[in-house]
Amino acid sequence: MTNPVQVPTNVLIVGVGGQGVIMVSKVLATLCQNHGYAVKQSEVHGMAKRGGAVFSHVRFGPQVWSPTIPEGEADVLVALEWAEGLRWLSFLKPDTGTFIADCQRIVPPFACRNRGRGAEASYAPQTPEEIIQQVHAGYAMDATTMATNLGNLRAANTVLLGALSTALDFAVDDWLATIPQFVPPASIDINLAAFAAGREWALAGEKRVDANAEGPHVSYTEIRHAQVDTVVEIVEERCKGCDICVKLCPERCLRLNDSLVAELVLPDLCTGCHMCEWLCPDFAISVTNTPVPEPA
Amino acid sequence: MKDVDVLDDFDIEDYIRQDQMPHFLCPGCGHGIALRALMWAIHDLAIPKDKLAVVSGIGCSGRLSGYVDASTFHTTHGRPLAFATGLALARPDLHVIVISGDGDCLAIGGNHMIHSCRRNLNMTCMMLNNEIYGMTGGQVSPTTSSDRFTTTTPAGNTEPVFDACALAAAAGASFVGREVTLQILALRELLRDAIANDGFSFVEVISDCTEIYGRKNDLGASPEMMMSQKSSMRPFAYRNTVDVPFRPTGLKTGVLAKTDRPEYGKAYRAMTEKLRGKKGRG
Amino acid sequence: MSQRINLQGNHACALGAIRAGCRFFAGYPITPSSEVAESMARELPKVGGTFIQMEDEIASMAAVIGASMGGMKSMTATSGPGFSLKQENLGYACGAEIPCVIVNVMRGGPSTGMPTRPSQGDIMQARWGTHGDHPIIVLAPASAAEAFSETSRAVELSEQLRVPVVVLLDEAIGHLVETVDLDAIPETPEVWRKWAEGPKQDYEPYAVTDDMVPPMSRPGDGYRTHTTGLTHAPNGFPTQNPAIAEAALTRTTTKLDLHRERYESWRVRQCDDADLLIVAIGISARAAQAAVDDLRADGVKAGLFRPVTLWPFPEEALREVVASSGAKTVLVPEMNQGQLVLEVERVLKGSAGTVGLGRIDGEAITPDQIAGKAREILG
Ligand code: SF4
Ligand code: SF4
Repeated sequence: MTNPVQVPTNVLIVGVGGQGVIMVSKVLATLCQNHGYAVKQSEVHGMAKRGGAVFSHVRFGPQVWSPTIPEGEADVLVALEWAEGLRWLSFLKPDTGTFIADCQRIVPPFACRNRGRGAEASYAPQTPEEIIQQVHAGYAMDATTMATNLGNLRAANTVLLGALSTALDFAVDDWLATIPQFVPPASIDINLAAFAAGREWALAGEKRVDANAEGPHVSYTEIRHAQVDTVVEIVEERCKGCDICVKLCPERCLRLNDSLVAELVLPDLCTGCHMCEWLCPDFAISVTNTPVPEPA
Repeated sequence: MKDVDVLDDFDIEDYIRQDQMPHFLCPGCGHGIALRALMWAIHDLAIPKDKLAVVSGIGCSGRLSGYVDASTFHTTHGRPLAFATGLALARPDLHVIVISGDGDCLAIGGNHMIHSCRRNLNMTCMMLNNEIYGMTGGQVSPTTSSDRFTTTTPAGNTEPVFDACALAAAAGASFVGREVTLQILALRELLRDAIANDGFSFVEVISDCTEIYGRKNDLGASPEMMMSQKSSMRPFAYRNTVDVPFRPTGLKTGVLAKTDRPEYGKAYRAMTEKLRGKKGRG
Repeated sequence: MSQRINLQGNHACALGAIRAGCRFFAGYPITPSSEVAESMARELPKVGGTFIQMEDEIASMAAVIGASMGGMKSMTATSGPGFSLKQENLGYACGAEIPCVIVNVMRGGPSTGMPTRPSQGDIMQARWGTHGDHPIIVLAPASAAEAFSETSRAVELSEQLRVPVVVLLDEAIGHLVETVDLDAIPETPEVWRKWAEGPKQDYEPYAVTDDMVPPMSRPGDGYRTHTTGLTHAPNGFPTQNPAIAEAALTRTTTKLDLHRERYESWRVRQCDDADLLIVAIGISARAAQAAVDDLRADGVKAGLFRPVTLWPFPEEALREVVASSGAKTVLVPEMNQGQLVLEVERVLKGSAGTVGLGRIDGEAITPDQIAGKAREILG
């Protein structure tokens, strides 16, 4: 990384509302301040609702004038959500920048804008491998799952903070001392563990892609009843994991998988009643019943 | 391949702008369910998309118009009914639907709402009531239940609420109804009757804001909120029959008012015809 | 049959709009503009148009935009506080490029001010009343005949350029009754906005076209477009992409620069050899004309430059007049504490001395006042 003693170091943190972008930048800014650097932090809370794009610029060094990072000047880009990371990729220093991203996809409102009419309704088309190949150093982590395994999905931002710590020259103990100031007392332990997990994961290589990272797809299940064929289609890229279909399916044959996407796990119980389809607020499920033709 | 043996051939994909999907609403937001019911009602009535105009205001509800494959107008905060009044008078051939929210319709747009009811111009207003200003981060609205926490009622809401349907009926709307999102089939039917009504129809949809309102008030996730909303209502008059004797304090659902009043646009045009006729004879 | 009739400025606005094809009016009673609504309520039904008195000023502006989005030429009229209330939706019309006309009959202000007294206090509000950078055209008639022809022109310009046009009258012109020869006002062919055509998949409601004015669609024509007050991409849907947002805003705020010759209009009187130039609009310009005659009788070479299109200000024209006449001094009489004078100063950039003359007591500015000030300046 750039030596912060001469020129400012630029860290850009992006994500969608509710993920903890601001927490990450506060930890970093405090840490820098404690080391005697001049720090400038500027942020935009998209729409102040969940799902709105949020980003925060943190710049530190002996002297920092402008609070915002110019395009192509970020030493580190931390993305709490995959597509937001891709949207900001051009801000990364092409030759030396480090890209740290959670490969979890939360469909943010503006990631899907500005497509032409009739354009394929696909969420960021490149695979994480392709992206990580393009950057100098990159980590496509499954921070959400790592945090969930530690017992709190909301600590995913701290997992990324752990990875960020490997790209900057601060002592581990300083990070560990700062984090507790910005998390609720009850979850300090989980957050410290999340930090350690993220750090360890990133230390294992300059470019890493989590095995779980993959592109979006549609799940398609066909169920043959006596008189009708039922097809349950779930468009993964639309599902936001709200649990409505899971809890309100009369037969309870759906569940949320590890990436919080609805999945038909007990197809044999499905009666093709349409309840999941009708109540899905995101139009992610469609149920089709087709009569089975009489045998000739 | 919507060859459905059960109900009908409604496919939501025919009515939404697929290039705008996924929509921007939070996980579990009831607005998406209401939008499905609305499109379903449009489908039931065989209204061509080219004759459909959807007008919305500002807020989470305001964004819904952008997802409908019709002529859609995302207007200013609280004013969609006023924009729609101009549109409906200029274009009586259109089916005009207004999508509004509790803050949009009852607070900043309250004046337009009561006067639209009074005027009885042919259009349908679907007001999505989630008891909160979601887009701006969760402030108290005219329908926030008492004691509920919002960012502007940190100690619980002490303001009384509006009963939007009672207000609409009192102001003269010729069709008034309310339904919860969980009862999507009833909601679809209600919206169908509302749109078919020749005059101003007001439909309040009890929707859930899980991410902000639900979380702040420990109301559970969307399925729990939807279930409890349903069980706190008095399904009165859905078939226009009897009230439910228990839950005396709950809001009523179903068709709550239906009156036969002259539709404003027709009345105005009849008057101008007469004037022009007179001029011709004179 | 000659159509010489006695017409009040406000009525003239209504008739001029109808002549240009305006068929929808939504309004709200307010002094001193109510007569515009009253004549619209009387006249529109006769031509198959629609009049509605809305519940408030905000709603009437909204309804006018709604009707225009439905494909009708539409107009509203208001005054002072009502004009303030309309600004929010006026901004929507600017941003979404919806043609419409707003007549504002200026009265004393601020706040309720002097409702029945003339003023020219809204010169800046007419240009900058709504928030954000936005395009707008403002026309300032100075007689009942001009109230008729300029409101007609307002309807046409708003259609051609997809921009809201404000007709800015002062109370004195609005309530002035003059003999107007309707035959002398040329009948204009009906001007309409460009309508969308061609296949749906190729149509972008806010495409960048050569003339910067994209063709408009309306419900029922098969395009099924989205219209929003949010900053939008050429496809009409909201965007936060910095490059697209900048391009979109730049197009709407600069499209008028391309069409100056279409909307710019001004009148000059005795300017050729003027040493002293008076710049004024509305009733102040009429007083100024009398002052010019008075000064000329005294041997003072005075002239009058009257912007009829007030905004965007005819800056080139004014600079040329000042340069060719060699006028050393420019006097700007107006019925406020100095608004137009700021623009004149900006335009002339010191090439001539600029002096303001304000009047804010609710009385119209007089020729004597102007001539007196001129003599004072010239010493
Ligand atoms: S169709 Fe009915 S039974 Fe089958 S998964 Fe959906 S809700 Fe469950
Ligand atoms: S209801 Fe829809 S969005 Fe919610 S979990 Fe099920 S499929 Fe996903």
